[in-house]
Amino acid sequence: MKERLVTTVNGRRIERYVDPSMRLVDFLRDELLLTGTKIGCKQGECGACTIIMNGTAVLSCIMPVMKAMDAEILTIEGLEKDGKLHPIQDEFIKGGAIQCGFCTPGFIMGAKALLDENPSPTSEEVREELSGHICRCTGYKKIEDAVLKAAERLREEKDD
Amino acid sequence: MKYLIANSTTEVLEFLKEAGGTASILAGGTDLVLDIESGKKKADVLIDVTRIPELKKIEEVDGFLEIGAAATLTEIHSHPLVRKYFPSLVKACKKVGSRLIQNVATLAGNVITAQPAADAGMALSVLDPRFVLVDEEGTRECYVDDMYAGFGVSTLDSGRTLMTKIRIPLPKENEAASFQRLELRKSLSLPMLNVAAMAAIKEGKFEWVRLRMAPVGKGPVRAVEAEEWLVGKEVSEETFERAGELALENANPRSNPLRGSKEYREATLPVMVKRALLEIATQLNVMEG
Repeated sequence: MKERLVTTVNGRRIERYVDPSMRLVDFLRDELLLTGTKIGCKQGECGACTIIMNGTAVLSCIMPVMKAMDAEILTIEGLEKDGKLHPIQDEFIKGGAIQCGFCTPGFIMGAKALLDENPSPTSEEVREELSGHICRCTGYKKIEDAVLKAAERLREEKDD
Repeated sequence: MKYLIANSTTEVLEFLKEAGGTASILAGGTDLVLDIESGKKKADVLIDVTRIPELKKIEEVDGFLEIGAAATLTEIHSHPLVRKYFPSLVKACKKVGSRLIQNVATLAGNVITAQPAADAGMALSVLDPRFVLVDEEGTRECYVDDMYAGFGVSTLDSGRTLMTKIRIPLPKENEAASFQRLELRKSLSLPMLNVAAMAAIKEGKFEWVRLRMAPVGKGPVRAVEAEEWLVGKEVSEETFERAGELALENANPRSNPLRGSKEYREATLPVMVKRALLEIATQLNVMEG
């Protein structure tokens, strides 16, 4: 039996009837066609499916879709503004923190949640907070550097 | 499957009654969702309890720290009261999965899933927690040893009973706790061994000690021999050593590809016990760390 779901995704109010046994990631990808959120392990271990829900980074692959009821969801598609990439996205590209790109949306959403809460993290904090994301290409160092650079830029933008 | 979002404890009990045992209470769902998919657990109805304000509270009440059953591990380990009174619990909550898991998973869930490798439930187990359970018949309180029925099996039936909060007595001035973890790497790794301890020290001697180990059996296993022997013993390296040896009498670590061989884990367990007791003595300024 389908249930009524009302949620907000990337600022857009959505109302759908969904199968409650569905995972949130499948809803985002298959129903809303927001395929930027990736499915890696679908076990909650790799971080590829990370989105931001009510300000917190969560794994959409092990989350029942109904947890999105009345929630504010932000996915990687919701980051750019007026055709301009978010500073975190920009720094990932500039710093070569992307290779195959599969883990990238998850990392960026994790980084966004982190920087929203803590605008000046230490490298240790970046490592700890993003430890739930797995990347098999970059060796992590460039990702850490990109997040720290983005943090710096976001702080400067705020001061302006 | 039906998914119900409960707004109050009373509503949870109504939903549970209506489902007649076919429902399961859902908090973070980080284990339950996967267990339902793999067929390990069955539920026709999921009752989401994470929006009940009362279940999200973390507060100090009459000498106890009360943690709502739907408070997430992140909410717990970042809470000033938890940080102030229970650093060992903070440390353990930060070891469960990753931050992404901690953002939705709960301490109550860590106890109810009853995995012997659960870090947070393990650190909690020596703090003398009381689990407040509510069902059709009323409200009751349970202790740690009432909670674990077997490997990954809780005594609590999530189709009939709701845990509303966990009450932990605040430590007295001469009491401290420790959580020690043997791990392959710092993040995203299951524990090879966990040791949790709490003790009271008076005039350089142990007044009492609570010592538990995992995963070496069902739930957090009590090192009874060591606990009893430690009472009245002087706080010293030699005492820690002997306690470590005695702890082995209650532990049955098996060889496991994830956790290492039986021999290795038996050799390291006494070291973990020693570290836990030393940390307690250091926290209470009885010894230098």
